[in-house]
Amino acid sequence: MKHGATAQNLGGPAILVIDDEERIRDGCQKVLCQEGFEVETADCGELGLKMIEEKFYDVILLDLMMPSLSGFDVLSRVKALHPDSVIIVISGYATVEYSIEAMKKGAFDFMPKPFTPDQLRLLVTKALEYTRALKDIADEKSRMRVLIDHLRDGVMAVDAGKCVVLANPAFLRMCSYNGGEAVGLDVEQLCSGSRIESLIDGALSMPEDELVENCEELVRGGGGGLPEAVLSARCVPFRDRAGRNVGAITVLHDITAQKKMEQIKSDFVSMVSHEVRSPLNSVLAQLHVITDGLAGEVTPKQMEILGRASEKIKSLLSLSTELLDLARIESGLITLDKERVNPAEILEDQAAFHEAAAREKRISLELDPLPELPSVVVNRRNMEEVLSNLITNAINYTPEGGKVVLSACTEDKYLKLSVRDNGIGIAPEEQERVFAPFYRIKNEKTRFTIGTGLGLAIVKSIVEAHGGYVRLQSEAERGSTFDVYFPGSDS
Amino acid sequence: MSDKQLILVVDDDPDLVESVSMKLENNGFRVGKAYDGVEAWEKIRQEKPDLVLLDVMMPRKDGYELCRELKEDPLFKNIVVVLLTAVAESVKSSRYTHQDGKTTPADDYIAKPIDLGRLMDVVRDNLDR
Repeated sequence: MKHGATAQNLGGPAILVIDDEERIRDGCQKVLCQEGFEVETADCGELGLKMIEEKFYDVILLDLMMPSLSGFDVLSRVKALHPDSVIIVISGYATVEYSIEAMKKGAFDFMPKPFTPDQLRLLVTKALEYTRALKDIADEKSRMRVLIDHLRDGVMAVDAGKCVVLANPAFLRMCSYNGGEAVGLDVEQLCSGSRIESLIDGALSMPEDELVENCEELVRGGGGGLPEAVLSARCVPFRDRAGRNVGAITVLHDITAQKKMEQIKSDFVSMVSHEVRSPLNSVLAQLHVITDGLAGEVTPKQMEILGRASEKIKSLLSLSTELLDLARIESGLITLDKERVNPAEILEDQAAFHEAAAREKRISLELDPLPELPSVVVNRRNMEEVLSNLITNAINYTPEGGKVVLSACTEDKYLKLSVRDNGIGIAPEEQERVFAPFYRIKNEKTRFTIGTGLGLAIVKSIVEAHGGYVRLQSEAERGSTFDVYFPGSDS
Repeated sequence: MSDKQLILVVDDDPDLVESVSMKLENNGFRVGKAYDGVEAWEKIRQEKPDLVLLDVMMPRKDGYELCRELKEDPLFKNIVVVLLTAVAESVKSSRYTHQDGKTTPADDYIAKPIDLGRLMDVVRDNLDR
């Protein structure tokens, strides 16, 4: 089939006139050629049909009353051949019955003889606009079809009754469906046993003023000879002009490789962590045995050197631990095992655990009375780590006799945990940088405070990996408050 | 000699096993040594120790698995198991949680790096019970 744009660029739209009257054929040809159209003629129905079989015409002018093959017969056969053909019927016997009959058989319009050149021009122009619109729709349909069929992601559209109106080959493959045509099936038949249907239910019942993707990870079992796969499914409703949900689009994306990669990364981090820490742990134990005097007499000088060596190993050990933690967090591995936790319990635990370190520095560590707090779904170890790092920092950077206060509350849809101290504070120009890895504030007040410079980087990474954020308020010499926000679990 | 309690030290790092053993022997215990989970099982069957100090990450059979098997076996379930774990180490917490969230029926645990003084407290506390 010719493409509209091309045909018009090369000589304009093609028009065929089928009439046994030479006078009409010539007249039409003359008028329409003046308009820049490509006009061809046929003096009988048989010849006209033959030409239509060989070439696509944008508009066909067809006389109803012809010897041998009548216009009605030509009309029926052309419509069977090219349902989209635009045909204008012309006849000297312009009765209402004829007109209706011709329109019923699929004619675009009816033109009684005799007609003026103006009438002809007007009608053909109108027909051309119509044929162009038809072609645009057909092109658009074909373009969309090819586009969707060649996507590697699975795409399915259902109507409001959850009946499949479109499903591309990738979608059928991902659903392990091989039962032939899927259009017209109920969605349940196509994706039985998966949670796709409930995602669609959610999309179809979405209120008008809202348009969000319903997302879920689906695990497809290894049944049916197919390997186990992890698919991410997204579902959104589509709407009519009045804004009503008239169906939903579901897109499946295969994330199996990504999941495998995450597992490999996780295993690698665990392996490195074990390989690096084991010898350090072992060296520490060996030094301990010597300083305990179990391997013979130790002089005070040797004791002092071994003590310093132990401290170095310990800080190397905590550096490696924190680096690996950071690697684990930044590669998104911690989102793997989340559980519902009670924040009050964790706060009380942490307050109790750091009590000794605070007392040693004559700092009072207090836990403000807690309001009713919602439970949150987080990685427990990580939440403990966040609080632990903040409390350790607060104690380290608060002079003797100072105060560290823990508190918590709900703010909007977030759980807010705060660690407040009245210590040395952080100057405004340092406040952004304290969250960067290995950044440590160096001045005469912090010289003797030990640390890796990773604590706050870990705090920030963990909180952000949970969809939360960190706020810092601080004033030099007055103290600092770190607020961490974890999203509530109901969302 | 035979009234001394027997402790089996299991870790894939021989240096760590040696250091821990020296400390235990110095405190009046008899010590057995094993360097992976499978070897540990054999020693446990032969020698029936009073307490097993068990590393978590080891070749052939890890500490979690061995611990579970011991505690499910009527013959050995009374042996005290203390896990040596590096897992809880980064978190300065009073709670003990496994990385995978599962509980292992160990009697107690010590986080690495091992404080040999604390090790003796944990060992004595668990044997007194």
